[in-house]
Amino acid sequence: MKVKVVSHILEANDRIAAENKKLFKESGVYAINLMSAPGAGKTSLLEKTIQELRGDLKIGVIEGDIAGSDDARRIANLHVPVVQINTGGACHLDANMISEVLGDLPLKELDLLIIENVGNLVCPAEFKVGENIKVMLLSIAEGDDKPLKYPLMFEESSALILNKIDLLPHTNASIEKIRKNSLSLNPKLKIFEVSCRTGEGIGKWVKWLQSLIK
Amino acid sequence: MHEVSIDTSLLKIAVDNCKKEGYKGIELIKVKVGRASGIMPDALSFAFDAVKIGTIAEKATLTIDKIPVSGFCEGCKNSFTVDEAFVISCPQCGHISIRVETGHELHIYEMDVF
Repeated sequence: MKVKVVSHILEANDRIAAENKKLFKESGVYAINLMSAPGAGKTSLLEKTIQELRGDLKIGVIEGDIAGSDDARRIANLHVPVVQINTGGACHLDANMISEVLGDLPLKELDLLIIENVGNLVCPAEFKVGENIKVMLLSIAEGDDKPLKYPLMFEESSALILNKIDLLPHTNASIEKIRKNSLSLNPKLKIFEVSCRTGEGIGKWVKWLQSLIK
Repeated sequence: MHEVSIDTSLLKIAVDNCKKEGYKGIELIKVKVGRASGIMPDALSFAFDAVKIGTIAEKATLTIDKIPVSGFCEGCKNSFTVDEAFVISCPQCGHISIRVETGHELHIYEMDVF
């Protein structure tokens, strides 16, 4: 007996993501899914962003890691609400993991929720979690060949933050090549060049972020 | 990289549909996997055999239709198909105004039940 079932395999995830998104909207929270390879500087960018927006926007954070809570501790030091998710091996956050921790955050008091995904340039791009936009980081030290090696994340993101530009003189990476190939994959991609270490470029990124929310 | 999660999701869809229609078990599940979906067919098959154990699809076979990346070029007005996971310009004329039409599939579309 043949049965036709035309259904997207990630349908269950997408359904929960849609519920999360609805809850964010009702609570007046703008949600960002922040993705990158391990060590690109997601948590450093969060620290800088939170410091810049203090007193202007109320920010909450969900930290996704395979194990450990170092990142959540760094964010908690800045006195913003933070929840740590340990995926216990899974290479990405999915909508259900987010749904389960939303009760632990004061959503109604927040303007912006940043969901820091598991460090991985592949899988996080495939799972919606209920975000308004996806933002990705690429650090200069990772090399300028990444857009064409990991195209999906560049295609899915609304903004690309090139971090660690203070290291440019010490690498062979070409920002022009990254820009050209990223924009070929995604012509609407907004690109920011920053250094979380020196603070260079953070202002422009933060200003753009504010323009989305207000 | 996360083929186990994908297998778990597709099995859930198959098992839920099978039970809803009042059948006892599943013999075959057919899926379409696009080259640009990020899912490796071999890993999907391998993980499927582990994930199906203990379900009503325990004896089921997974058939994977691999869908290449294809599309249409607005420059030369030709259709194209590539043997890559992505395409940034027309493989025939190099124009960048292209419309990708297939390759992102990740669908279950048919199953044999009893």
